[in-house]
Amino acid sequence: MSVLDVSHLQIGFAGTPEFAAVKDLSFTLKAGETLAIVGESGSGKSLTALALMGLLPKTAILRGDAAFADGDQKRILQELNGTTWQDVRGRVVSMVFQEPMSALNPVMQVGKQLSEAISAHQRVSHDKARQIAIEWLGKVQLPEPEKIYARFPHQLSGGQKQRVMIAMAMCHHPQILIADEPTTALDATVQQEVILLMQQLQREHETSMIFITHDLSLAARIASEVLVMYKGQVMEYGAAEVVLKHPQHPYTQALLACRPSVNHKSERLPVVSDFWQPENELLTSESELKNIPAAKRENSQSNKSILKVENVRIWFPQKKNWLRNALEYFKAVDDVSFELYKGETLGLVGESGCGKSTLSRGIMGLVPIHDGHIYFDGKDLAKASQQEWLTARRKMQMIFQDPFSSLNPRLTVGDIVSEPMRVHRIVSRSELKKETLRVFDLVQLPASAYDRYPHQFSGGQRQRIGIARALGLKPEVLICDESVSALDVSIQAQILNLLRDLQQELALTYLFISHDLSVVYYLCDRIMVMQKGKIVETGTAEAVLKHPTNPYTQRLVDAV
Amino acid sequence: MIRFLAKRIRYSLFILWGVVTLVFFMFNVLPADPARLVMGQRSDLASIENARRDLNLDKPMWLRYCLYLNDLSPIGLHENDSATQTKYHYQKLIPLSSRCIAAKWPYLGRSYRTKKEVSAVLSEALPGTIILALAAMTFATIIGILLGTLAALKKDTWLDTSSIVASVAGISMPSFFAALLIAYFFGFLLHSITGLNMTGSLWEYDAFKGKRLMLRNLILPALALGIRPLAIITQLTRSAMLDVLSQDYIRTANAKGLTKTRVIFRHALPNALNPVITAVSGWLAELLAGSFFVEYIFGWKGVGKITVDALDKFDFPLVMGAVLLTAFIFIIVNLLTDILYSKIDPRVRL
Repeated sequence: MSVLDVSHLQIGFAGTPEFAAVKDLSFTLKAGETLAIVGESGSGKSLTALALMGLLPKTAILRGDAAFADGDQKRILQELNGTTWQDVRGRVVSMVFQEPMSALNPVMQVGKQLSEAISAHQRVSHDKARQIAIEWLGKVQLPEPEKIYARFPHQLSGGQKQRVMIAMAMCHHPQILIADEPTTALDATVQQEVILLMQQLQREHETSMIFITHDLSLAARIASEVLVMYKGQVMEYGAAEVVLKHPQHPYTQALLACRPSVNHKSERLPVVSDFWQPENELLTSESELKNIPAAKRENSQSNKSILKVENVRIWFPQKKNWLRNALEYFKAVDDVSFELYKGETLGLVGESGCGKSTLSRGIMGLVPIHDGHIYFDGKDLAKASQQEWLTARRKMQMIFQDPFSSLNPRLTVGDIVSEPMRVHRIVSRSELKKETLRVFDLVQLPASAYDRYPHQFSGGQRQRIGIARALGLKPEVLICDESVSALDVSIQAQILNLLRDLQQELALTYLFISHDLSVVYYLCDRIMVMQKGKIVETGTAEAVLKHPTNPYTQRLVDAV
Repeated sequence: MIRFLAKRIRYSLFILWGVVTLVFFMFNVLPADPARLVMGQRSDLASIENARRDLNLDKPMWLRYCLYLNDLSPIGLHENDSATQTKYHYQKLIPLSSRCIAAKWPYLGRSYRTKKEVSAVLSEALPGTIILALAAMTFATIIGILLGTLAALKKDTWLDTSSIVASVAGISMPSFFAALLIAYFFGFLLHSITGLNMTGSLWEYDAFKGKRLMLRNLILPALALGIRPLAIITQLTRSAMLDVLSQDYIRTANAKGLTKTRVIFRHALPNALNPVITAVSGWLAELLAGSFFVEYIFGWKGVGKITVDALDKFDFPLVMGAVLLTAFIFIIVNLLTDILYSKIDPRVRL
């Protein structure tokens, strides 16, 4: 029996080419089953989910139809209006969103938000609703539900917030649960627990689930059927084992191949265009990438240390006395020592909040260091003069996580890349543009990008701009802070390849910070694992990931 | 909370001291002779000398400054005799030989012109100002938030556009102009319909019935005073609401199947209030310091008119009192605002 029939669903936006966002999507969701919709950003998977909730933005145009089973009767999507939607939402079909951080109202107790959801479809007294809410907080395995009830969202961790969201979505035993990347924003170990919880609740309440994700392997694990989307079109739709074991469409094959894996450390990641060239698509610089021969990975590392970190502590005062002297500290980085050798790639791994970003900022001099020494090229940065700092800054550059917010939207790409060169007087004013274009070439950005603005580029290209900005200064060390985490897998592969090629070409040293073990394993020679501000394990990539000695590392590896 | 209050009181005292110092020295470089102001132009030299001694004008500036601070301080050192006690109304704390340390209300002096005690003059005018300011701001806040919310919900419809146009007009209209228009239309032309007077204070003195409360007289000045804050609050609410309505948690609230009113008033509005509170508190503090034009046009007894008159006449004690009162009001309103922020948004910790 099917609980949801979607037939020829089309979504478009006013003022854009007809129904480009989702093109002719049909699928059936069977009772109690899980369907995974897999795709990268812009594939239309989230829009599909919003359409099924009746939450599309006002500018969107919807064609086609869907029928929900509501007990014995059928609800037709196109026939629902304001009030009937209110009745359907949360009771027949409900949704868990991607960002638990922003999906809860920050000024309302989470328990109230839950009990409010309960009384939306159930005539119960105030106290009864509260009681049911507390019950549900227990069911989603939150410790001390009574206390959690009165907490505000900012007082909960990401995983806890997502549990509250799940309780909110499940409290009326909906027929259909739509989960839009529910675990993407969470740490690997937490991800695991949240998915187990969702599966358990699904079984208990016989809910059908639409699970939206960009992660094919995750989709394979939890879904019985998989639907692969690309730019609004269905690429492949079928039983999970078939799609994943024997993908028919080249796009699916590419998605499976370009993900770095902890099982094999290949020379170079394949990218989508190696497999498949979508029709009518302009050959962008990204797809030209395959023409560049794969760089041979030579062992160019030396034993010469370029950056030495010695007993570094980065503490933030938490309590102050009346003289403003700190009484208590939050120890973000606590007594960390390591060396970075010339030409190597050192991975720094840890879950969110472990202090890895703070450490990188400390090295760059962006946050003050409480105690300890950082030697760059043998010079102690703590005692460095203004001039020495300037040189160190030039030789040490950072590539940031979010390519969307780390570029100034009011500057042209040319200005963004050339500005640091001007500040550090890398080339004369007359040569500036030539040099900028040379750097563009290094990261395979078209010269036409010079006069355009960041918002005109895709995520992957923006990250190239960020890399170009750093490379312009001819740095020796690049600190990559989660530089590929915000990107789609296929783009991720391109950027990882680019980083590798650049390392060969320019003899760069990388400090690569990531929470993603497979990416780190692919790229790095050595790995450091960080937990609660301390380094708990260091070793070669092989040793750390294949034979972890620390229990925390073990847990991280298991969660992949 | 207590820690926060202690810190704020410390800062506040520092600010008040700064204000006192600044105004004190500013008035001492003005070319007016207080003794002449007190005695009038035609008095003889001897009585002017007497007045000088009375006002401490024969003493050096630094000593006068110290004496003035001593007058203002709630705990000060005073002569231990009955004449001084009636002047300051103090309570003896620790008697010393000829003086004593005493507790009192800050002594603001007497007006040079009317010889009335400044605190009495101000406290007589203050209730009128407070009531007028509160009435104007209540009106502006309630209507402004409602209009702003409505405009945000009906974005790009005639309702939205016309409320924007109206609020721009409201912002650009100076209060004396609005006050004149309102007084003329509602108090004069439409008097027979509205039954409102062009002028009038909160308290009317009647030969037969004595002092009477006339709330009716509040309506027009409050309207005139509230128009600009109303326009600004409308615009702020509208833009904050538009911002909040596109947030993820509003989508969540809708996904729960909540009614539209609940989504708007329970989820969107509280999150949109921050900029509105900032605006409301700023305006409230400003209006509490008195609004000369509106008070003048409607013949309303308030602090604004008294301050401007005193400035005109170099009535130093009265100006000083009004300035201190204004500073004090700003401090209190700011303090209350900060507490209110923390009540509305749990992420704000005091």
